[in-house]
Amino acid sequence: MTTHALDKSAALNQGVIIFAYLAILTALEFGLAVALPNPILLLLVALFKAGLVMYYYMHIYKLAQQDEVLPRNSYAYKTGSNRLGLWLFLLSDAFVFGALLATRFNLWGMTRPHLNQTLGLAVTTVLLVSSFFMNRAETSIAHGDRKGFLNATLITMILGIAFLVGVVGLEWQLAQLENVIVNKDVKGAVFYMMTGMHAFHVLTGVIFLFLVWRNGRRGAFSAERYWGVEAAAVYWHFVDVVWIFFYPALYLIGTVV
Amino acid sequence: MKQLYSIPLVRGLVWLVIGLAAGIAFVVGIRFALELPVMGRYLFTEHAWVFGGVVGTLAFLAKHGVMDGWFKVWKGEEEAEHHEDPEGWIKYLGPSLDHKVIGIQYTVTAIILFLVGGLFALIFRTELAFEGQQFLTPDQYNTMMSLHGMVMIVSILLGISGLINYLVPLLIGAPDMAFPRLNAFSYWISVPAAIWLLLSMPLGGVETGWTGYPPLSALPTKVGQQMFFLGVFVAGWSSILGALNLIVTVVRMRARGMTAFRMPIFVWSAIATSLIALTATQLIGLSFQMVMFQRLFGMGFFDPAKGGNPILFQHLFWFYSHPAVYVFILPGLGVVSELLPVFVRKPLFGYRWVAMSSLGIALVGFIVWAHHMFTSGMNEYLRVPFMYSTLLVAVPTGVKFFSWVATIWQGKIPSPMPTAFLFVVGSILVFLMGGLSGPPNAIVTTDLHLHDTYWIVGHFHNTFFGGFVFPFFAALYYWFPKATGRRLDERLGRWHFWLMASSFFVLSLGMMRVGLLGMRRRIFDYDPELGFQTTHIVMTVAAFLIALSVVIFFVNLVRSLRYGEAVIGNLWNSRSPEWQVPSPMPAHNYSAPLVVVGEPYDYGLPGSRYVDFAPAKVGD
Repeated sequence: MTTHALDKSAALNQGVIIFAYLAILTALEFGLAVALPNPILLLLVALFKAGLVMYYYMHIYKLAQQDEVLPRNSYAYKTGSNRLGLWLFLLSDAFVFGALLATRFNLWGMTRPHLNQTLGLAVTTVLLVSSFFMNRAETSIAHGDRKGFLNATLITMILGIAFLVGVVGLEWQLAQLENVIVNKDVKGAVFYMMTGMHAFHVLTGVIFLFLVWRNGRRGAFSAERYWGVEAAAVYWHFVDVVWIFFYPALYLIGTVV
Repeated sequence: MKQLYSIPLVRGLVWLVIGLAAGIAFVVGIRFALELPVMGRYLFTEHAWVFGGVVGTLAFLAKHGVMDGWFKVWKGEEEAEHHEDPEGWIKYLGPSLDHKVIGIQYTVTAIILFLVGGLFALIFRTELAFEGQQFLTPDQYNTMMSLHGMVMIVSILLGISGLINYLVPLLIGAPDMAFPRLNAFSYWISVPAAIWLLLSMPLGGVETGWTGYPPLSALPTKVGQQMFFLGVFVAGWSSILGALNLIVTVVRMRARGMTAFRMPIFVWSAIATSLIALTATQLIGLSFQMVMFQRLFGMGFFDPAKGGNPILFQHLFWFYSHPAVYVFILPGLGVVSELLPVFVRKPLFGYRWVAMSSLGIALVGFIVWAHHMFTSGMNEYLRVPFMYSTLLVAVPTGVKFFSWVATIWQGKIPSPMPTAFLFVVGSILVFLMGGLSGPPNAIVTTDLHLHDTYWIVGHFHNTFFGGFVFPFFAALYYWFPKATGRRLDERLGRWHFWLMASSFFVLSLGMMRVGLLGMRRRIFDYDPELGFQTTHIVMTVAAFLIALSVVIFFVNLVRSLRYGEAVIGNLWNSRSPEWQVPSPMPAHNYSAPLVVVGEPYDYGLPGSRYVDFAPAKVGD
């Protein structure tokens, strides 16, 4: 069940399969939005995607691990405490994004602005692929493969920067041409607030990854001690989960006005 | 000079000012380059002040020393989670990682803010004593009234953090909180928060009341409003991170044998409080941030002219701010349930029900927010469901009252009554008034009349005094010997209690009376024809008497720190683990791990035990 129970190639393969599922579901989501734009269906697809990421990439089940027998000052027990702390932080953060979604549905209702669909799908793909490599990085270090971990972390970081360039560098400029302007009306206000808040989290994730990558190069992590990597990975996947809901809310649900 | 700078707090404040100046200079430079107006009504534009505030906060945290441990970890260096504090009072100004030091830092900061907020109250209360304008301008009145609210709220949040930080690790037999560095960070981030909150005064003040509703708060007239939002936003992070730390501590650090239903009841209420603070606080942060952005960047979230919706702000705001009142009162009610059995020498009646009632209040609290909005013009079909969900809160609250009454029933009332016990009984009575004046505001038909009157002001002052202020003082009188090894003076304590309790009843009943007669809240002046001029004078006198009782408390505090009766033993004859070891508590709490072997509140049952101190194992 857990990553540790699998040997390395099986764990990496699992990452590939989950990525394939997520890719297919994203394609399905896009197809649904074109052919059968039902918000409930889109929500179900998003929930399913988020569930996959949270279980297979973020390993939420690790929270239930029984480690009461371990000494309180051991690395493993402290990692358990850290993990709970991180998940509580994500729960707290989820309320921000939940409130932003509530704001979007309150102010936009069942409409959405005209945005560049190709670019939207492209940045979504980039983030999804980055999540795949993030999982690969964590799996690698969990099995003691430092080189694989460093390479995958570097790729994740580059994809994260690509996502930022895509959203802030391109989409924010293109949206202005579509009359989505920050201080003109709520169309602009909500769009820039949601993408901006998410991009801010991606940026902090990239910084976090950089620290992990640099410390990893100096040999800070091993198969037994890699909480820093796990934390960066769980945080990164969380940012991906947020986008799993933000993407349909911004690009797919509602009629274009 | 150099010695002064070596004090972490001073160093932090110096860098806060430098950061503020640098942030302002940066924005001024950019605006100058873009040929935008550089200067504003309050010296600089809003953008400059807000950005300066953000940079100042970060500079404070970076240079104060509270983040040094993290910086080392980020650099990949090894860093111990414990370090020795310097001797003497200087440790309270530095980034100590000891939960007891942090608890005292929180408590002292809370008391300082309590004084500031109380001073504001006295000022505008005096203005209200007589109709017509006395000595405040309407703008100054609004600022005093708004900041009284928000400063007191931040004070309460820090006060409960103080209680929780100091007590919970002791009560559960842990050496410290789960994340000591995060703990220190949560405290120190509240210092810049308080500074920004108070800086709003010279920058034009705040005119919206503590709720900061747009469209009024979105009018770009006063920079003070922005600093108010910034201060609350930063203080919110203190609350969120502290709550996170507390939950992990309780889940992961309990002594062996301490199952969920053998935890002290205060720990249950701390958990309930933290669940709210952890999650809901994000929404007040976000809603204030959105108003800030509306002012800074013209984003029209709450501006009807741009398709925005002011009611949306109220939903986001109250989603936190109603549960927040349970954040304020739950630890206080926990203190009452914790202390009562000790004083009356009887088991706490219905322990499990009381534990669950805290969680019940916290969870129901998430679905009641719109009862603040019955008159706001929100969809009418929302009214009745929110009315019923609000009335539901009375059920778990009632459970607590029954438990208290049944615990006192046939108990041994101590004689003479210690001050801590007086404050416990005072909390029950005052909170009863607060509780009973609640349902009329929850019921739509009566609330339409009571909304925004002084009745509401009377109601929530009763809940906050009964749910926080009285229990807070009870806790101070009760645990002061644990923290200092000395006891607060009982004679001054009794003066403090009787003066505060009696004047508070006069004040709050006066508030309810003028409210029912038609006095609106948040107004600067009133018509003498309404017939409550005398009541206002009486209320003002009562307010000053409360202030006098607080002065007595301070005299007591300062005197007892030096001359108080030395107490190192189990002063209250309590079963709780922290009283089984000598006061004051040593740096890493219990020298030997303790084991829980029985029920926490079996007072008066012969042969029952709660904790055992296991001999320290070799190499553990």
